[in-house]
Amino acid sequence: MGGHMTITFQLNGITKNVKIRSGDRLSTILTQEHPPIKSLIPDCLSGHCGKCLVIMDKRLVYSCLVPAFRARDAEITTIEGLSDSDDIRDIQKGFQEAHCHPCNFCKNAKTLVIWDLLNRIALPNESQIEESLSVVSCSCTDPVSLKKAVFLAADLKNRRKYHRADK
Amino acid sequence: MLISEIHYPASVNDALALLDEQPETILLAGGTEIAGAQVSRFLQFPQSIACIAKIPELKKTTRTEQFMEFGSCTSLTGLLSLGPGILPHPLAQAIQSIGNPTIRNIATLGGNLASRRQFMDLWPFLVCMDAQVEIRNRTNSHWANLFYLADSSSKPFFPEKSILTRVRIPLVEYSNVFYRKIGGQGFPHHESAVFVCMAEIQQNKIESFRLVFSGTRVFRLQEVELSLFAKKITNNSRELAFARQEYIREFSRSGFLKPAIFSSLVTDAFETLFGASM
Repeated sequence: MGGHMTITFQLNGITKNVKIRSGDRLSTILTQEHPPIKSLIPDCLSGHCGKCLVIMDKRLVYSCLVPAFRARDAEITTIEGLSDSDDIRDIQKGFQEAHCHPCNFCKNAKTLVIWDLLNRIALPNESQIEESLSVVSCSCTDPVSLKKAVFLAADLKNRRKYHRADK
Repeated sequence: MLISEIHYPASVNDALALLDEQPETILLAGGTEIAGAQVSRFLQFPQSIACIAKIPELKKTTRTEQFMEFGSCTSLTGLLSLGPGILPHPLAQAIQSIGNPTIRNIATLGGNLASRRQFMDLWPFLVCMDAQVEIRNRTNSHWANLFYLADSSSKPFFPEKSILTRVRIPLVEYSNVFYRKIGGQGFPHHESAVFVCMAEIQQNKIESFRLVFSGTRVFRLQEVELSLFAKKITNNSRELAFARQEYIREFSRSGFLKPAIFSSLVTDAFETLFGASM
């Protein structure tokens, strides 16, 4: 076996059978996937920077803190799996309208955090936004415009949902 | 590079059978404690690991009028999701002080209580709340006060070939709680510690009192806690002054962290809970 084992999980809705070693981090195997998940930039490997965030079984997690074997039978979603969704477009529009421009290192992570937040709380307040975004450690954007972007994205999403319900 | 053997027991019984065969097996649910302490690309684990995160019976939550019962693999986010009306407020605050929302999504209650490296954040809090834990091995299961998970040398203890399956938390809303974490942010280390002091006061009388300070070891004086029962809180209460001095004196003998830190914590706690007369 050479110390390898095979685990199966869903990655962005596609079933994957992946060979792993017991000490692999989930972030390592995702960035080595074919095609690789380019949105992840595992940096600190200790759950501080937030650049390896993924959704695992509907919860936001640092993939560097998850042993790969723990992902067996899990559902994993990265920003690549959501990029065509209206929710992500709302967030991007929120960034644009708030003149908030996250850097290339943290943009995907911040987008995923906001996506997760708005999925849980339709109208988050300031402290909920601050707490959620605290999981990404990058100071490229000022907190005021970042919060404004989240409020705008929430508004866009809620209006879209409301209009859909109207039809 | 140590290659470990990974097991996925489907039930508690399967996990116990594995522990019986391979007692060196380490149980892992969230894995935050092990992964968070390592920054190398490849994680080092013990020779044999049992991944218990998805065992259904370890994720159940039940509630009665008196207590909440949680499976040990309930995540800290799962605990918080019960909402402020159900979870005692100080406990919710203590959970929120652990890591950040993303860490709490994978860290589990059992992992926080059964760490063998040191007493983690929720341990002293739940000891003060008289939480009970269910410990199962192949032949029996029993409920014990959480304080049972400290050995005679005041260090973390967990019985061999056993699993912490459930945690029962009384739904008692303590009116007076003093809680401090020392040792900075991030994953707990050898100088991290948590100080918790709780008192139930009715008509100016102490109905119950608990004080637990824990990190790599635990410090608790149950006889002093009992001695304060039914004591009246007055401006110059000799009993309270004596209890405070007793805590400071005994702590300086314990050799656990710096006495000056504990002394200021216990003084602050007494002042906060019983008034400025201390």
